Amino acid sequence: MEQRLANTLIMTVNEKKFIENALVSDIRVDGRRPFDYRNLTIRFGSEDGSSEVQLGKTQVLAFVTGQLVQPYRDRPNEGSFAIYTEFSPMADPSFEPGRPGDSAIELGRIVDRGLRESRAVDTESLCVIAGKVVWSIRIDLHIIDNGGNLVDAANIAALAALSTFRRPECTVGGEDGQELTIHPPDVREPLPLILHHFPVAVTFGFIGKENIVKAGGDGVLQSVIMQCLRIASVKAGDITSKIKNAVESYNTQRSLRKIKRHNPSSAVSNVAKHHTVREPNSQSVDTNALRASQPSCATPVDKLNEESTQVNPETKSTQQSSDMNSSASTHEVTDIGSPEKQSNTLKDAVKPKHKRRKKSTSNVNAN
Amino acid sequence: MEVDRADGRTPNQRRPVVCTRGVLHRAHGSASWAQGDTKVIAAVYGPKAGTKKNENPEKACIEVIWKPKTGQSGKPEREYEMVLKKTLQSICLLNVHPNTTTTIVIQVVNDDGALLPCAINAACSALVDAGIPLKHLAVAICCCMVESGHVILDPSKLEEQNMKAFVYLVFPNSIISVLPDGSKRPGGEAMEHGIITSVTHGVMAVDDYFSCVKLGRAAAAELSDFVRNSLKLKAGNDPSKVG
Repeated sequence: MEQRLANTLIMTVNEKKFIENALVSDIRVDGRRPFDYRNLTIRFGSEDGSSEVQLGKTQVLAFVTGQLVQPYRDRPNEGSFAIYTEFSPMADPSFEPGRPGDSAIELGRIVDRGLRESRAVDTESLCVIAGKVVWSIRIDLHIIDNGGNLVDAANIAALAALSTFRRPECTVGGEDGQELTIHPPDVREPLPLILHHFPVAVTFGFIGKENIVKAGGDGVLQSVIMQCLRIASVKAGDITSKIKNAVESYNTQRSLRKIKRHNPSSAVSNVAKHHTVREPNSQSVDTNALRASQPSCATPVDKLNEESTQVNPETKSTQQSSDMNSSASTHEVTDIGSPEKQSNTLKDAVKPKHKRRKKSTSNVNAN
Repeated sequence: MEVDRADGRTPNQRRPVVCTRGVLHRAHGSASWAQGDTKVIAAVYGPKAGTKKNENPEKACIEVIWKPKTGQSGKPEREYEMVLKKTLQSICLLNVHPNTTTTIVIQVVNDDGALLPCAINAACSALVDAGIPLKHLAVAICCCMVESGHVILDPSKLEEQNMKAFVYLVFPNSIISVLPDGSKRPGGEAMEHGIITSVTHGVMAVDDYFSCVKLGRAAAAELSDFVRNSLKLKAGNDPSKVG
């Protein structure tokens, strides 16, 4: 009992009075004006469909995954999606692990209704074989840092993750049109989800005379609601453009990554081996610029700056090991970049050459 | 004979490591640890008053909560929690704060092989960020055995699935002491040659296991230098963490 009390935030009368007095002169505790949003940064993980949103001090992770399942009986042509919300104990000491509490369920329901009832996610495009196989999309929201306004941040995270999620392409074939082949991502490009629009949540707080009141607790005048709606539509447009910009830059990075994988391999087949070493280096400069241009977060981030040491491992002694530490400087990133690309280029280079040599030697032998 | 690895690394090469401390604001200590594409965030709350029912009240209690990326927490998560708890219990000074609970929450952001070592490293950095008293740091590494009998370091997810066997090893970090043989135990063996935790999957011969341990120890020595340097950098810079 005492431990639970110690976990919750108890506000003193002085603090409440201070907040109310500051609001009289239109100043909020962190210096914002009444209708200002905190800094919003949207980052994406290395996999498709994972996003990390930071709204001031609030941090939310969203992961989108897809699975092929049987559809519901009354909707044989539509896929489905479901939202799972986790108030992680790391976000707040008062969040208990285990079953989600009321606020977690409420948050999940708000995000879910926003996407479902406005038909933002196109479920009919998720159908593969009508009545038998459809895609079921699962969205996992993890709240990892509670700095207030979890609903807005979670909604943005869900939208960003949905925009970057790719599902593998399936083709239906076979004699009776029932055979399903799922193409792996390196064979055929995976497809994005179809999102018709972005439902954005904007949260308003009403501070009454005595208590700090959650939106919807006390009675609110109709004119006030209309004002909120007007402000919300402006903010929603703002947030939508931010999400779209972030998704666009992620998509260009993604396509650049794919192009870099293909270009050296196509150029290598005609070029001698010693030339391939230079090409990855010249291209990897672009990846450095891209990595550096990723939106930086507001909190101080500590990354290690260390010289990368490469020790050539002898084949027999296992005690020497080479390591690479990534850092913000460009030199290390190029070192990391080149072996990855070299492996693709060298492999692609070696195979066709050996085939050619074998054919020429066999021809010589035959002659 | 060199083993051909998918991302072009040599058999003894780890993936690049990124360690960030102070990622979260509410948590008392937090760290994010990324080895290549495997990324884990760890948060520490504590020490809080009181221990759980079955725990010894004369010592501090460590509680670990493991949150997977998607899906419900199941048996594999319980196993990870147990391994992490035992490992962290051996590095924490439990007698400094008796009758308290320190909670460590692990959130998997991406799993691309060697997940448990990544989580142990993240948890250790988060504990340092929170200022929990520790005996020494724990440095975790993953070694695996390929079909052809070679030992490789820090496998990715694809490599892990095709392995004959793999082992997660946790070593204490190397000690820099003023006395020349201050780090030696009475037996003459150096402190950092002890193994804190070893988790094996699959079948491997005893000799192979020992060669994995040798390789892991060498890699852990380099990783522990990295950890020490990264933890040193932060200590002087952030005024909000002081006092």
